[in-house]
Amino acid sequence: MTLGVLLVDDEPLIRSGLRAIINAEPDLAVIGEAEDGASVTSLARRLRPDIVLMDVRMPIIDGIEATRRLLANLDDPPRVLVLTTFENDDYVFDALRAGASGFLLKRARPDEVIRAIRLLAAGESLLFPTAIRELAARCSPAETPARGLDAAGLTDREAEVLRLVAQGLSNAEIASQLIVSLETVKSHVAHVLTKLDARDRTQAVIRAYESGFIIPR
Amino acid sequence: MPRARELLAIPARSSTWQRYAYLVVGAALVPPYGTLAGFVAPALEGGLGATAAWGLAIVVCAVVLPIATGMLPAVRELEIGAARRLLGVGIADLQTLDAKTSWPTRWRSAAWFVTHLVIGGVIGSVTVVLPPALVSACFAPFESGDVQLGRLDATVPGGPGSAWIVPLALLSPLALIYIAAAAGALLSWLSPRLLGPSPTERLAAAQRQAMRLAERNRLARELHDSVGHALSIVTVQAGAAERVLDNDPVFVRDALTNIQTSARNGLRDLDHVLGLLRDDVVSRAPTPTLADLRQLIDSSRSASIDITAELTGQFDDVPQAVSCEAFRIVQESLTNAARHAGRAPVSLRLKVGADELELELTNPLNGNHPRHAGGGRGLDGIRERVMSLRGDVSAGADSGQWRIAVRLPLRPPP
Repeated sequence: MTLGVLLVDDEPLIRSGLRAIINAEPDLAVIGEAEDGASVTSLARRLRPDIVLMDVRMPIIDGIEATRRLLANLDDPPRVLVLTTFENDDYVFDALRAGASGFLLKRARPDEVIRAIRLLAAGESLLFPTAIRELAARCSPAETPARGLDAAGLTDREAEVLRLVAQGLSNAEIASQLIVSLETVKSHVAHVLTKLDARDRTQAVIRAYESGFIIPR
Repeated sequence: MPRARELLAIPARSSTWQRYAYLVVGAALVPPYGTLAGFVAPALEGGLGATAAWGLAIVVCAVVLPIATGMLPAVRELEIGAARRLLGVGIADLQTLDAKTSWPTRWRSAAWFVTHLVIGGVIGSVTVVLPPALVSACFAPFESGDVQLGRLDATVPGGPGSAWIVPLALLSPLALIYIAAAAGALLSWLSPRLLGPSPTERLAAAQRQAMRLAERNRLARELHDSVGHALSIVTVQAGAAERVLDNDPVFVRDALTNIQTSARNGLRDLDHVLGLLRDDVVSRAPTPTLADLRQLIDSSRSASIDITAELTGQFDDVPQAVSCEAFRIVQESLTNAARHAGRAPVSLRLKVGADELELELTNPLNGNHPRHAGGGRGLDGIRERVMSLRGDVSAGADSGQWRIAVRLPLRPPP
């Protein structure tokens, strides 16, 4: 099965480079491109990509707003991988808050680009846990209640799993650490996502940081 | 009793003696004015009579001249330096020398200078007169006739009856130290009020600081946008070329060209930003304003850019911040036009009205004007400047012309 990728970047040379890198993989294919955020939702509805590679700063509609609209208007929206020039970019966290599943530096090596797309599609591990922690550390948790996850009613085991997810552990790693089966971990993660109303691990972890459930550092 | 202990510690404190030194410096500044009065008065005596001559000489030399001295900006700087060092007070440093010193500030400096002279003069004279008077007072109980106190025009009767005067004389230096400490404290309290920056100067300094910060943010943004952008393209294209090297030689050739172009553009932009940083550090030239617009237009013309300029209104009335930013906007627009439209003629219209400044720059599109953000990177800088002044900006193609229109309010909204 091929993973379909939609490229959204206002710079044609970034798109052509990423397209060549992605299309060189047998199991990945660029199925569409857009040069600004305005056409992303309609393109995604038509082409049904698995992953959207989204630049942040674009004319007309930026990547943050495009991500928000995409997730709001599609029933089964694709995962959004945000493209950024710099790691310490405030926009990145805004994009993650808007619902993106991860971010990728434009300077990433080709195999890192490929790995990130596959990782996001599989949804079994967190992309750049350290960077997400640092980004989350800069957000203001004051606007959310201190123990905001209490209401979610996580079991002790689920809370433990969430902490391990936030450390960047994959399902398999969590299974070996807790000495349980992979299936058990998957069901715990699924429960956590449901209870937190999170689309994926990234969103669950962001919520965990924002609510003060996990305190950065 | 900590209060009493504090009082007892005053003579032992180094700050007491530093303030004393500051007062003595004030005393040392007095004689020149006195000497001058001594020269001037006899010269006038013939015409005015002794009383009038001395009166006039004292008013001019002991009142008017010190006030005038205190008004000199350089004297103010000296006094600030000395007050910081010897009075140990914090006076905000707002580079008053390069700014035009306002009259209220000059009057405050004059008041300070005169206060320093008067209080310093009193303490200084007592310091000089006291020791000989004290020595002679101590001998008074052992003398038979009247004893003159040092060189003072005062005497005490000699003999054992004057024994009381000895402890009094011995205590008087201590009293002087306390009086000097009190005077020093008074000056310390007074100095920020008379030597500190006025509200206007504080405001101007805050504005300068804000402008410097805005400029730095803009440079950071420019580096982020231009060099970061170029290097991202280089990385992605090079990575892709390596990936498809064996299968797609056409892509690889294109990628190499793209890498060259992007790297070159990045270096050019880096050159530009570094140039701005260097200018900022080396020249510290005053920020150009609309008053420098003519010069900008002339130098652009000599770089063979064909500019038609229509400038109307009173540029002098435009607030400093707006004027600087408007200049920069014109400068950036001209750079953009030259970069994208080559030698196409540029038309600049700038109008300063009662409440707002309107600026419009147009040049014919020559087909290769980029419609992407690549061409808009310079525009981002302009947008940022306009936003910071709560103005409006519109830019884009308009019937065969590239047009940028900016409107800046001249006064902040109430």
